Amino acid sequence: MNHLRGAFLLVAAAFVQWWWSTHFAFWGLSPQIPLVLTVAIAARQGPAAAMGYGFVWGLCLDSLRPELFGANALVFTLIGYGTGTVRKQIDLADMLSQCVAVVMMTWGYFLMYGMLGLIFAKSFIWVGWAAFICDPFYNCLLVPFGAGLWFWLRARP
Amino acid sequence: MHRETKVSNYVLAVFSALSLIMLSLPLSAPVRAFKACVVYLFDPLVYYGDKGVQRLADMPPGVARLLSADMENVRLQAELRRTQWQKAELESLRNENRRLSAALGLTAPVGRSAIWADVMERDPLHWYSNIMVNVGSRQGVALNAPVFGEKDGEIIVIGRVTEVRSDTSIVLLVTDELSSIAVYLSSAGVDGLAQGQGGPRLRVNYLPSEAALTKGDLIYTSQTSATFPGDVLVGRVTAVNPSDPFLTFQSVEVQPAVNSTSLNNVMILRPEGIAGEPAALPPAAPAAAAPRKKPAVKTDEVARSTTAPEGR
Repeated sequence: MNHLRGAFLLVAAAFVQWWWSTHFAFWGLSPQIPLVLTVAIAARQGPAAAMGYGFVWGLCLDSLRPELFGANALVFTLIGYGTGTVRKQIDLADMLSQCVAVVMMTWGYFLMYGMLGLIFAKSFIWVGWAAFICDPFYNCLLVPFGAGLWFWLRARP
Repeated sequence: MHRETKVSNYVLAVFSALSLIMLSLPLSAPVRAFKACVVYLFDPLVYYGDKGVQRLADMPPGVARLLSADMENVRLQAELRRTQWQKAELESLRNENRRLSAALGLTAPVGRSAIWADVMERDPLHWYSNIMVNVGSRQGVALNAPVFGEKDGEIIVIGRVTEVRSDTSIVLLVTDELSSIAVYLSSAGVDGLAQGQGGPRLRVNYLPSEAALTKGDLIYTSQTSATFPGDVLVGRVTAVNPSDPFLTFQSVEVQPAVNSTSLNNVMILRPEGIAGEPAALPPAAPAAAAPRKKPAVKTDEVARSTTAPEGR
């Protein structure tokens, strides 16, 4: 994947995430496209690339919710690192294992974000039970999309 | 250690350090201001309704004031455009009111009523010859119907209808070479025939050779005119031509009272009782309501005008 396609993926994912969460949130729930793509990139290309993308997407999300600026960047970096490291032990190439990884990483995201809130804002940032339960599975629906987008970007000359 | 693992650890360390630095710095306010500006620029919802205002509520006060001022500026510009449109409409209505008020003073012949029409087209090759207007036989316009313009509240002769179509008509202007109108000079009290010259001026021929003609004299349509109602202003004498010893009459040059090539609306007299839209004016007003004072008409003028070759 060359730099141009990478830049396109960065901008498009950030824009779609912003647009979706602003206008198409359903009962306050919206999928976390950057998280799904970070997991997909980590599963296929390793932790370094995933951390790079995750960090930038995290900054974009932080700019949307600037109360803890840098928290999303850190959490996404850790997600990219964690998924990329785990892929050596577990085969993350197939959809099912990626779905499991996305579910686990989403919960991990919520908990880490809350902990960072506790450290830097003196209060645990709790997303609510609805989001905590539903969002991981909502994100799972995007795993085929993430994989398809990845293959599409890789296949083009 | 494996190279990929080593790189990953370095990247993790760098990004984590950067994130922690950003978390430690008080960056919320500048980021919020930046976000507000970006959202304001790219999200059209901000322009509309309370939703946008709520979205702008948690930003720094300076930026909020700036964006509120810009929103108010947009709203005021829209209001200004609306006001300008209303002003133009008001001006148009005022002109129409003035025009209709002037038309009420016209002594329309019995059995005719007036209809206003817009000028649709002018032929550049025949600029002083004819114009096309947007009324025709469906609106009751008949062949040879007289056509008038308006200037400063006064009705002025423009020409006559020479071609009638269903929704349009061709008006032959008084300045066309083929146009002629029976007229009289207001101060001299003599009748003549105003003929177009194919340019901006008219020439009034057949004036008695003994008549005292003066520059600046006003020209009105004669009561003897078969086409036009009497006492309607045509123009003003701009030059008295030297007497020709071989001719038995005098002539004067006349400047039309209105430049018919710059008119946007004209009034046409049409026969009353037509099927179509109702007449724009009430029946002919009494003679006392006429705005101009007509000099006494001499019996010999009538005779001369009757024999004048008016028309095409």
